[in-house]
Amino acid sequence: MKMCGRQTGALVRVALLDLYRRKDLIVVWLLSLVLLLPLAFFSPFGISGAGRYLNEIALLLVWLFSAVIGVGVAARLFPAEFESRTIFPLLAKPVTRGRIVLGKYLGALAASVSALTVFYLAYGVLCGLRQSVWFPVVLFQAFLLHIGFLIVVTALAMLGSLMMTPSANLTLCGLLIVGMLVFGQRLPSLIAAQPYPGKAFLMLVHALGPHVEFFDLRQRVIHGWSRVGWDVCAVVLLYAIGYAAACLGLAGWLFCRKKV
Amino acid sequence: MRQRFWIIMGLLAAGGAVALGLCLPRFFEGSMPQVPGEDVLHLVLGDARQELSMALLAKADEYFHGGVNDVACGHGMTSVEGAVPDHDPAHGESCPEHAHAHEAVRWRDPWAWINGRVHVQEHRHLCNDQATELLPWIWAACRASPQNAQAYQTGAYVLARMTGHPEQGVRLLEEGHRRNPEDAGIVFSLGEMWLTHLHDAARAESWFAAVLPLCRPAEGAVGENDRLLWVRTLFYLGYLAKQRGDLARARACLAEAETVFPEHASVKDLRRLLQQ
Repeated sequence: MKMCGRQTGALVRVALLDLYRRKDLIVVWLLSLVLLLPLAFFSPFGISGAGRYLNEIALLLVWLFSAVIGVGVAARLFPAEFESRTIFPLLAKPVTRGRIVLGKYLGALAASVSALTVFYLAYGVLCGLRQSVWFPVVLFQAFLLHIGFLIVVTALAMLGSLMMTPSANLTLCGLLIVGMLVFGQRLPSLIAAQPYPGKAFLMLVHALGPHVEFFDLRQRVIHGWSRVGWDVCAVVLLYAIGYAAACLGLAGWLFCRKKV
Repeated sequence: MRQRFWIIMGLLAAGGAVALGLCLPRFFEGSMPQVPGEDVLHLVLGDARQELSMALLAKADEYFHGGVNDVACGHGMTSVEGAVPDHDPAHGESCPEHAHAHEAVRWRDPWAWINGRVHVQEHRHLCNDQATELLPWIWAACRASPQNAQAYQTGAYVLARMTGHPEQGVRLLEEGHRRNPEDAGIVFSLGEMWLTHLHDAARAESWFAAVLPLCRPAEGAVGENDRLLWVRTLFYLGYLAKQRGDLARARACLAEAETVFPEHASVKDLRRLLQQ
């Protein structure tokens, strides 16, 4: 048990170091500053006082960058190992293939969540300074559900990395995430309006697709709506864990069958 | 030696590019695809600017409804003041029928149930003291497409009525008029703004008088909006004429309005005003 924990811990550490070694976060930070700083001093028609647009753009950037980091880190872990052939010494060690998948997944998740924590801390401080509202409960819920989003997308990207080429995987994951964020909430009404066979396809997407829109609390945070019930939060997080477990199970099975 | 050759070649290429850039517009004057003076946004987006501008205006409307889009709401940004919670947020929880329907959705389509709980389904309007939140999107809508007259009119309404800055509203409408000199709606809004917010009847009348030559209603349902604008303009012109004692002019306005839209509320109001 102790050995198992140590092996998984080592794999997590490698993924975490990989993110910070490549300085992705610094690039993302600089880009955010370049975009947000001029906007912070913008007063349309010479009238100041508007702040929600800035919160909206800041949260959009947080979502965009967290998705890019989460998918990017998870999708890169296995192809890089195969390409540089470092997977062979790893497989030669007394560690099961299932544990390698789990360890790498946890590493990608830890790296993404660490970056997300930094983003939300910065957002919380920005809002506190501008609006004198310091870390409301709804922001904490948004952060919690955003972790749920990362749990799903990193698992999905890891599964894709064992089935497709890196570019195909990144493209498909990107399309799925954006598509579900934009249309996920409207799928039931789209299904009702479609004739067969389009209806059957949409029903399949609705039933099996990753409903990443569940994790999006931006609307509540930006417009000052009340928090979500904790029972709903728990259900959404359970959905995330269940979906990720299914993806990882499939990824583990694929990796065990893979001839390297 | 070789390095110097490439430097000279590079400089010659750069000089050639600059010379071509200067000569082409002179040689092909009038047949270039771009119109002189057009900005980068126009060159890049072309007609898509109008769509972008409408999307930004829709975003402002979404903000007016507390970030909730796809709202089946009869009140636009331009007709309601203050926060109007016309749906009790607790209603769904307390009403047995609603609670039963929620339970049914929960088991039939759990994903829709979760979405309904996570994303706000309520209906509210922004208070006037928060209306500044709409301004960045309206500003962007006006800049994205100067041909979007609706953006200028909505912006002026928000500035004058909701944030209490009528001078800024007039300035925005004047900018809209400069860019859309044929748009009767903007001219009418300018007249209304001078009359109701800045209380300058003379300037208002000159703007209302400028509406009539621009208002050419088409036959049938297509010209309905133009006819309404025409009648409303005639009401204001008749009212202002009555205010300064020019009854003949006021009666002429009423007679013209009766030929356009005899049953409209503005015509009835003007008739009542002249009977007093």
